[in-house]
Amino acid sequence: MDFTNLASQLNAGIILPEGIVVATLLVVLVGDLIAGRASTRWTPYATMAGLSLAIVALIYQWDTATPLSFLGSFMGDDLSIVFRGIIVLSAIATVPMSIRYIEQSGTSLAEFLVIMMTATLGGMFLSGANDLVTIFVALETLSISSYLLTGYMKRDPRSNEAALKYLLIGAASSAIFLYGMSLLYGLSGGKMKLLEISQSFVAADSDAPIGIIVALVFVIAGIAFKIAAVPFHQWTPDVYEGSPTPVVAFLSVGSKTAGFALAIRLLVAVFPVVSEQWHFVFTALAILSMVLGNVVALAQTSMKRLLAYSSIAQAGFLMIGLVVGTEAGYSSMIFYLLIYLFMNLGGFTCVILFSLRTGTDQISEYSGLYQKDPLLTLCLSICLLSLGGIPPLAGFFGKLYIFWAGWQAGAYGLVLVGLVTSVISIYYYIRVVKMMVVKEPQEMSDAISNYPEVRWDLPGLRPLQVSLILAVVATSLAGILSNPLFTLANNSVSHTPLLQAAIDQQQAPKAVVPPVATIAPAVTSVAQR
Amino acid sequence: MTLAEGVQLVLFGLLAALVIGTALGVVLLSNIVYSAFLLGGVFLSISGLYVLLNAGFVAAAQILIYVGAVNVLILFGIMLVNKSQPFTPVRRGWIRLIATGGVCLGLFALLSTMILGTSWQLSTETPVGDGATVLIGMHFFSDFLLPFELASVLLLMALVGAIILARREFVPDEPPTDAISDALKLPERPRELVPAGREGSESPE
Repeated sequence: MDFTNLASQLNAGIILPEGIVVATLLVVLVGDLIAGRASTRWTPYATMAGLSLAIVALIYQWDTATPLSFLGSFMGDDLSIVFRGIIVLSAIATVPMSIRYIEQSGTSLAEFLVIMMTATLGGMFLSGANDLVTIFVALETLSISSYLLTGYMKRDPRSNEAALKYLLIGAASSAIFLYGMSLLYGLSGGKMKLLEISQSFVAADSDAPIGIIVALVFVIAGIAFKIAAVPFHQWTPDVYEGSPTPVVAFLSVGSKTAGFALAIRLLVAVFPVVSEQWHFVFTALAILSMVLGNVVALAQTSMKRLLAYSSIAQAGFLMIGLVVGTEAGYSSMIFYLLIYLFMNLGGFTCVILFSLRTGTDQISEYSGLYQKDPLLTLCLSICLLSLGGIPPLAGFFGKLYIFWAGWQAGAYGLVLVGLVTSVISIYYYIRVVKMMVVKEPQEMSDAISNYPEVRWDLPGLRPLQVSLILAVVATSLAGILSNPLFTLANNSVSHTPLLQAAIDQQQAPKAVVPPVATIAPAVTSVAQR
Repeated sequence: MTLAEGVQLVLFGLLAALVIGTALGVVLLSNIVYSAFLLGGVFLSISGLYVLLNAGFVAAAQILIYVGAVNVLILFGIMLVNKSQPFTPVRRGWIRLIATGGVCLGLFALLSTMILGTSWQLSTETPVGDGATVLIGMHFFSDFLLPFELASVLLLMALVGAIILARREFVPDEPPTDAISDALKLPERPRELVPAGREGSESPE
């Protein structure tokens, strides 16, 4: 290896956005050390500015000619740029909602921001990681920061319990994932880069040997934990209930997006040999997530738990796009993720605002909110209806695109399950909306009758208001004016060589076998083992 | 079989027996201090296996990190907690034991069929032996540069996080009466705990 001009081979400019995030992180950390508590005035804005700068850097990297950097460790193609963008956007949106929340609970803000930026960094590297070691280190960076964020309110037993649960289950799933990766390393004869591993599988030319299947199962266990797919979802409700709500917002969007980025890259790049098998497994995961997430959400009494189960269900919808594996499938998934970012973060902003004013997150306490705070009622209603998929809002178009892509590709069963479960989901979203707009004053809950006067001039509430309005505007308009997002999602798929190769490969056998029958051979081939 | 191969075989058998024996001890003994010390034994015997595989650097790292840091930390943890609690046997605990044993045996059977049924691609290169340190360093600063640097951010954040969890907060110790009582807690009130009998509205989880 030529060490003299190593710097020129690295192509380090590709990770400029990540570099900006690291620089911001250090500025906030050191600035807080020097300035002490007074730094809370500027650190959130510095964080948002740095992360926005990272977005700008990402935009400039769109369609770069040489996406491979660090001698093949990192792939900066358009797919990774979209996913990194979503993760950074979710971090930017989490900052304004955490300012007041963290201050009201008496913890320090700068460390919270630093850990959240580290989680963002891990997610960004995970979206583009192209070899096994980078994948694992990035995944651990994301996970360990998430554990720390979950346990941030250390005097609250619920937060401690959530952190401990998350840590234990997360560590176990990391270990399983690592075992799967070590199997991949051994099966490919000591290869690290994703494409080299799959090439060695193709070269070995054995028809889906058991070793690869076992490695696949272990890897899927690790991924499904990150995206909280049923049956790897058990941590989700408890962790979402016990964590600080801004953390939940970040986990439900940022961490989940990183998980999907990992799923696409790892499964598509490494496992084309067992493509039928992983499609079959993900079909099962998608159906289970949609059914269980939506049905259990019906019975929830706490808003945070409701949103936890709803996020499990949304992951199920997203997996439809991954399973069908056509060009429309991948781009519908990215499109839905972009819309999910706005509506879910908007919903969490409303929940945070309500709990800051009343100190509760029980659904029954929302009754009569309309008479005291119409703006909050309107925003929360729009976000929830959009999550449910009511027509003029963005969520409807996202779901429409995913179901259309699934129907086109012949995944009729999945689409039908998706349709039925989204009808179920509309019920529990509307239940909250109905609760908020009751007319009779005697039905007003205690929290609402003691509702404080609406004031936006308290420290930290102004940014929250701005981000709330932005999220709601985006949720209501992104459906009707969806063309830019739509083009973005489509281009990111069509400009990514990795996905194009996979789509071509999938369409080749489809000419012979009718698409409905593609799942059946997978079932039998699994059953034979 | 030459003398060297015979010595290797005997040593492998010894080390494997040690690993399995000490690992069983970790799981089966009820005294947690014994378990912790036996865990050190597991790590030591595994590093012996690494030496046998001509991987001196990995063996040294194994001893330094696992025995020197992780295991000592576990022992410190046990020592600082220092709480002996009478362990009441769980009713029908044997079902749990049998189920766990069944799952473990099934996993073992699956993995061993997989290991025996796969034609592993063996590397033909000769092991570098003591030159490994140099080679690992070269990899760290060439094709594994990115994960190596990312690990430094990870360690920095772990350090910050550990300090946050361990530091003393300025919260009054006497039972507070005003708004300060909410310090460092979630702003949401805890749920009222429903008596176990009429828990119908909660999730089945």
